[in-house]
This record gives sequence, C-alpha cells and structure tokens, in this order.
Amino acid sequence: MIQANFFDQGVKVEFEIFDIKSFIMASSHEDLSEPLDIAFVEGSVSTERDLEHLQFVRRNSKVLIAIGHCAVFGGVQSMYCFSPWEKKYEEVYGSTDAVTLTKPLRPEPISKYVRVDAVLPGCPIEKESFLKLVSQLKMGVIPKIPDYPVCTECKWKENECLLLKGEMCLGPLTNSGCGAICPSLHIPCIGCWGPIREENFKSEAILLIEKGFDSKEIIKRFSIFGGKERAQRLENLLEELK
Amino acid sequence: MNKKIFIDPVARVEGHGGIEVLIEKDRVKEIKVDIFEGPRLIEKLVVGKSPDEAVSISSRICAICFVSHRLSEIISHEKAMGIKPGRKTQLLRKLAHYGEMIESHSLHYYLLALPDYFGYPDAIRMLEKYEEVAGALELKKYGNKIMEIVAGRRIHGENMRIGGFGKYPDEKELEWIKAKSYELIPVIESGIKLWEKVNVPDYLEDETVFMSIDSDGEYVFIGDRVKISTGEVFQSEEYTEIIKERVVKHSFSKRCRYKGKPYSVGALARIINSGDKLDGLAKDYFTHLYNSRWHKNPLFNNIAQAIEILYCLEKIPSLVDEIRKADDDVTGPERKTGRGVGIVEAPRGLLIHSNKLLNGKVDYADYIIPTTQNLDDMEKYVRVAAENLLNRKEENLELPLEMIMRAYDPCISCSVHMVRVKRV
Repeated sequence: MIQANFFDQGVKVEFEIFDIKSFIMASSHEDLSEPLDIAFVEGSVSTERDLEHLQFVRRNSKVLIAIGHCAVFGGVQSMYCFSPWEKKYEEVYGSTDAVTLTKPLRPEPISKYVRVDAVLPGCPIEKESFLKLVSQLKMGVIPKIPDYPVCTECKWKENECLLLKGEMCLGPLTNSGCGAICPSLHIPCIGCWGPIREENFKSEAILLIEKGFDSKEIIKRFSIFGGKERAQRLENLLEELK
Repeated sequence: MNKKIFIDPVARVEGHGGIEVLIEKDRVKEIKVDIFEGPRLIEKLVVGKSPDEAVSISSRICAICFVSHRLSEIISHEKAMGIKPGRKTQLLRKLAHYGEMIESHSLHYYLLALPDYFGYPDAIRMLEKYEEVAGALELKKYGNKIMEIVAGRRIHGENMRIGGFGKYPDEKELEWIKAKSYELIPVIESGIKLWEKVNVPDYLEDETVFMSIDSDGEYVFIGDRVKISTGEVFQSEEYTEIIKERVVKHSFSKRCRYKGKPYSVGALARIINSGDKLDGLAKDYFTHLYNSRWHKNPLFNNIAQAIEILYCLEKIPSLVDEIRKADDDVTGPERKTGRGVGIVEAPRGLLIHSNKLLNGKVDYADYIIPTTQNLDDMEKYVRVAAENLLNRKEENLELPLEMIMRAYDPCISCSVHMVRVKRV
C-alpha cells in the first residue's frame, strides 16, 4: 500500500495498488518468490557483488526504474577525474588487493550494465516526482522526465539570474525537476539533477563560455554531477570552441 | 556443534553489511562484520576542488545526516581560511543540527530498533498494537521540516554555506518551528515510556571506551574538544595522534582504534560522557532510567537516542528566540592556504572532516566517520554475545546478533545487511 500525505496542502491520499515485496532497509520481511512487476533501483554499481545483485533484480522484474543520481548517472563517486581511478583506490586502501570481500569496480550508473526502463534523477529525488512516477506506472505509462534545464524553472519562479551577477551557476546544463531550489536561495546550481538531454547541451555550454567563465572551471564543476561520459564530451566541446 | 551463521543482508540498517560467525565445536572461532558498500573514494575526489565544491561533494557521504557532514566540512574550511561565522549563522547551524538529530534518531529508535524488542519484522506491523510508534512519523517529519527550512532541503540542502547561509528562514517559519516543538514533547515522552516495557538482554555485556565532544557548559553536538571516558581529552587538531585508522580485508569501510583498542561513539557515548550536562525533562528521564549497565551494553544506545530527541525538542524554543535577536557579522577569509579540522557529533557519533587547502583548492582531505569508529566494538560485542548465547545453549543466534548491529544504527552507506553463522 502506498500512502501519500500532502501535509503541506492539507490533502491526504491513500491508494492500495502496490505491495512492497522487498525493502530491506525498512523491513526484515521479504518475498521474492514471484517475479516483481516493478523494481526501483538506487545506487551505483561499485563492486562485483552490486553487479550480480543488479543482474538478479533485472532478471526478476518486468520494469526496472533507476531512481536517484547514483543509479541514473553514477553519483559523485563516478566523477570524471583527471587521474586513474585505480590510483586513487590505491591511495585510499593502500593496494588494489587490500580488501578481498568482493572485487571493487569503478562506480558506474546501472544503465552501463542492464536495460533501464525509466529514470528519476536527482540528488536527492523529489517526493512529488516519485509519487507522479508511481501514479503513471499504475496507469501503464512509462514515465518521462522533463527535458528542459533548471533555468526554465528558475524563470517560472522569477528569480534573479545568478549568471548575470557573475556567479557560475550550472542551471543551463542541468536537468530540471528540483524546482530551481538552490537559485531560489541565491545559491548557484551545482548540477545535482544531472545533465540535460543531448540536443541542447552544446548551445548551453556555449552560453557559459559567452558569460566569460573559464572552461577548466566549468568542466571541474560540471564533472561533480555530470556523469563521466558527459563530462568528457563537455571537455571535447569546450576544446573545439577554443 | 559446528555452524557458520551469516546474516546477509542485515535488515533495517542504512546500507549493506553482513555478520559472519564461524562456530567450531560450540566455540566462536571467528567473527567478521563485512561491509559490502563499495568504495567511493570521496577523500580523493575533492582534491583540486574549491572549498564550496568540496562542501557539496562531501556532504553527499550520507543522505540521513548530511547536515553533520556539511557542518564538519564547512567548519574545517572556515578554520583553514580564517573565517569566523557570525552569531546568527552559528545558532542556525545548531537548529539545523537539532533537526537532524530528531529526524535521524526518530527513524532509528522507532522504525529500525524497537520492532526487534517487541517481536515484529518492521514498525508498520508493530503499529497495529503500539500506536506510540506513529509518533516516529510526526517526529521525523518535524526534524525533516527543520532541515528543509534551515538547510534548504530535506536531503542534501545547499543552504548552509561557508561563512553563512544562502537565505535565512523567515519569522513565520521560525515561529512554526518553535510552536511545534512544544507539541512534540509528549509524543517523545510516550516513546521513551515504551522503553520501560523493554527487557534489555544481558548476553552482550562488556566494558568499552566512549568518545564524544566535550564542552564547559551545556550538552553539545558541536565543539573543538573531545572527551574520552578514560578521563583524557584532546583538541580536534590532535585527532590523528589519538585515532588510528586501518584497512581490513572484509570491509570497504576502514576501522578505527584508540590505543590499539576498540571504542564506541554515538548517543550512548555522549550521554555517558556528558549526561550530567542534560537539563529539563531529558535530565529527569536520564536520571530515572540510567544504571551502570549502560557502560557495557550497546543496546542502551537506543534509549540514549530517545532522550536526545527530548533534549533537542526542549532546547528549540530558547534557541529560536536567540536566533531572532542575533546579528550575523562574519569576518575573514584571512588566507587561501591552511589546515582545518571540523568536528561535530553526527547522530551516530563523532565525525571529523579535515582539509588542507593550497591556494584556495583542496590539497588533502581526511574524514573519520562514526560507523568506522564503531565497527571494531560491534565485532567485539557480537563475539561476546555469540559466546554467551552458545554457553546458554541458545539455538537462534541470528536475531540477537543483528540487534547488536542495529543498536549502533550503522550508517553503513556512509562507511558502508548482515548475520551468517557457520557451525563446522
């Protein structure tokens, strides 16, 4: 059963359309005797054990949905960086074979390994968008996320543009869905909903260059939540523009 | 009888871990708390980033206690750069931190820990008979709401900045926080009374050492000095001399020791070291419930959490009034190169973020997480419990051992489910 309480709006909705078969972080009761209709997967793949578990979940579910930035884009731990991951691993643990429990893997989004039917990004996700997503699933619709940048939501809120004030805000490169929460607090967007879709990416990157920001600084900040592949693309793009 | 018990995953903990217990001829041969949560290497990923970027990255270590991670990271950078935040900022940080204590402790005490003591697989099923459990949702929602108002979002809010805030809460929001705190005091009181029905098991008792932040005045969650239950104290900057980290093969989380021995951090450590500094109803309940077993039985961490919820609720009204009056005169930065250590009490215990800055960029970062400090003691208590239970000819070791792990509220995703008993 899903209970949705819109306390802020004073409305309470209850609908008994889902059974929770497994939610190990909340209950020791688990029933995986039959295949699941829907699996929500959180987290990136960062060990061989994660990968085996993910593949088990994929085999046993009709629809698999990645929720949260880690599952969708890999999380901060999958950050594109300028020295090899293995070297960093050695710096932290002493050697590559220091921990033998399971094989560590460079963190990656789950789509690298399995088919993903829908995504809900965000670090963190928004509860309203999660509720919308489960409602759509009930109606047999595969949910789609908005494909416009944070700037659109920021305009709706009539915020003063932080880029015009000389602050490096990643709003133009970042997928909306958060409600432009940080710019509404006068804080530049850090990109935690991940990169916007491919089509607009180039022109938005050019916008930041035109505002006079240093390309290295743009890549450094974008790489935090940009996902490895997209950060590499941005690097190439900015190189071409020089 | 030989047996290997493996509890994997340990349910109702924040992350992925397992307990491996190898029993040979009715003796415990080996105990391992395995931490499967994969490596993230955050200490290395922040290198080269600006302090603001490092704050956004390192606070992602934990979604439950991001306020604590964010605060210790911010304080570390402020010390490194010579920034002194204003009074209003310090008080608002304290308010956000109280919000997080209430949110995190209510989730753990009611929803993750209590079902074990009353024989339920989860809190939802427990609710049918014990309606007090519904209080958890009210308390958690309140804590989350404070975090949303002050820290900017229920999870990973970005409003707390180095040197100040993006935006201050407005008068209406502050008044709501104050008024609501009075309403919730009877809620947590009924929650504390549930504990009086609990028969706390005694199969796991052994002495340990407790570490927590010390103060000259009130019961605190932020400070510069750490107290050890042995009587020693040390300054935040000296932590590397006192706490020694090491890597073990069965865990992606490192382990910490003090003078070669395991120790504990968390609500129980705080209340044992500084319980005399509590006041109000929190002090009354503490005095009423406290006994010498608290020093040797980690299960009492659960009731210590509930008392801390009450303490925070009682402190909020006067804190809000102070915030209203406070000015916010920040000074600094004085430099771009330097070292700073930020320590706070996360809900799960002592949290340390240390940074070295070079020309305004992070050059080196080191974080000591509460669960990494508790893991050796968890293993110790699992061993003591397993041995005692075997002596008492108990067949079912799994649940008692899981309960020990859960008592620590392991933030396993922050450092990294759980019991496999093998009898060979």
